[in-house]
Amino acid sequence: MSYIIEVKNIKKVYNMGKVKVEALKTIDVKIEKGEFVAIMGPSGSGKSTLMHILGCLDSPTKGEYFLDGLEISKLKKRKLATIRNIKIGFIFQTFNLLPHLSIHKNVELPLMYSGMNRTQRKKQATKILTSVGLIDRKKHKPSELSGGQRQRVAIARAIVNNPSIILADEPTGNLDTSSGNDILSIFAELHKAGNTIVMVTHDPAVAKRADRTIHIIDGEISNGNIS
Amino acid sequence: MAISLKESIVVGFSDFWSRKIRSIVTIIGIVLGTMSVIVVLSLMNGVNQKTIQWMLERGGLNKISIYQNWEYQSKTGQRKYFTYRELKLIHSLIPEVKYFNPTIRRGFRISYGKKEYWTSVRGVYPDFSPIEEWGVQKGRFVSNFDINQSSDIIVIGTKVAEELFGNLDPLGKMVTVHNRRLQVAGVMEHRFMKNSVSIGNDNNNALSYLNRRAFIPLSTMINKITNQDKINGLALKTSTPEEAILLKDKLEGILSNLRRREPVFIIESAQEEAEKAKKNTKIFQIIFFIISLISLLVGGIVIINIMLATIQERTREIGIRLAVGARRRDIFIQFLVQTVIITLLGGIIGVTIGVSILGFISNFLKMELIASFGTIILSVAVSAGIGLIFGIIPAIHASNLNPVEALRHE
Repeated sequence: MSYIIEVKNIKKVYNMGKVKVEALKTIDVKIEKGEFVAIMGPSGSGKSTLMHILGCLDSPTKGEYFLDGLEISKLKKRKLATIRNIKIGFIFQTFNLLPHLSIHKNVELPLMYSGMNRTQRKKQATKILTSVGLIDRKKHKPSELSGGQRQRVAIARAIVNNPSIILADEPTGNLDTSSGNDILSIFAELHKAGNTIVMVTHDPAVAKRADRTIHIIDGEISNGNIS
Repeated sequence: MAISLKESIVVGFSDFWSRKIRSIVTIIGIVLGTMSVIVVLSLMNGVNQKTIQWMLERGGLNKISIYQNWEYQSKTGQRKYFTYRELKLIHSLIPEVKYFNPTIRRGFRISYGKKEYWTSVRGVYPDFSPIEEWGVQKGRFVSNFDINQSSDIIVIGTKVAEELFGNLDPLGKMVTVHNRRLQVAGVMEHRFMKNSVSIGNDNNNALSYLNRRAFIPLSTMINKITNQDKINGLALKTSTPEEAILLKDKLEGILSNLRRREPVFIIESAQEEAEKAKKNTKIFQIIFFIISLISLLVGGIVIINIMLATIQERTREIGIRLAVGARRRDIFIQFLVQTVIITLLGGIIGVTIGVSILGFISNFLKMELIASFGTIILSVAVSAGIGLIFGIIPAIHASNLNPVEALRHE
């Protein structure tokens, strides 16, 4: 079995002045290429911390993290930016689009940071926006779109660079049921097309759409590591 | 792999435009600073040029002038004038001098028919002309022959000619000075200083007083008019300004010996005067430059403030950019570019307004004030430098944000 994500004995301790908070206590996670995994847990359980470490936004205090065979835990911050850029696509609960840029420019953003030239960038962004059905809105600002549409733009931005994994943090949390279902259908299609998806959620109904669910409570995995 | 400098600049520019009002307010501070730098430097430069131009118009920098020191009271009765014999002695002691012109100046009434004109009449040598770099427009000037013969001739300035003769040709006419009949041998060239600080007509020009003078041979003055062997002043000229300074020292020694070390004469070298004038304005130049710099500094502090506020507002945006793969350097450049654009633009606008203000002042003072290329480059460089220095702090702050915390920022 080849794992796209392999987390071994990861620990994360936050230093809050005098108090040390153990957000993650020795966690092991293995995710195969092409898997659709949900991470569930109550708030404060450490699921977001795990998500940030998986997304290379944060580094673990201890332990090893292999992404696509590359040992991330040993990399410098500058290298992490590159990893985020080419290997990871983020989707957030609050969409996190840049409000003063058009939809098209928002989708282009990761391509810009990867150094792709302007014409190629436009072509690629147009292609992805077409696939999420928003090409006719490309000149619009995010504020002119509905929540569901904004999240589709965010998905487009996440997949525009052909990342190794898609990380979604409560992607339906700010949407009504119907828009949420739309987004989950897109996830299903992406999964079918062979993408690896890791989704944080606290909604069991949403988690059910994934292949399997990892439960986290108090910084530990409660349902073991079934892979 | 990462974003190119060009892209960062594009991002910085679009940021700048999407926050127009804030950018414009920030620019104004820099505009004022740059403007004052350029106006002050050019004004000082103009005044300096003016002084030097005046000196050049008055015979150049190789000139030495000796005057009577009216402020000094001699206790031993040292004479405040030269005798003809003393001047011969002085001339023999300084063979290196190029031109030598003793002068007697006296106020006289010059009359022609019923018209008369009060003015300063000067007894001079022919060397007066090359020392002052001032010749005749008509007829001839005092010659060596006139000195030898104590000729009854007079050379008049244009104002004198106008007052006495109107439209008539003065050449060959007989005028009376102190009961002596003198023939007009020449009319001096009209003197006028270009770009002079003068408001109104010709009479107020910095050089127009010269047009009111009249000149006769020194010997004629001594032998036929005043009948006194009293020579008020002496003007000399060397080949170079450096020689003039050396000669000045030598003359100080000679005159000191002649007058028992009493300072009854003032010796002035144009070169030294020019340097003194330059030095004086330099002090003002430095003071005003510092004041301008302080106002630019204030502009810089405003920039830090506004940029820090901007970054605070945009923390989440920075987080998003970091999440999609922006490196710290990309964020740093993005914000630095913004400040540099603001200050550079402010600098350019400041220079433009400054140059216009200079034009206005030039017009008002009738004085040529031009911002030199160096001054313009200096002002723009200083404002861009302020932008770089004060832009670095907020840019470092922005690029050091923790991506997780930045994303959580509301």
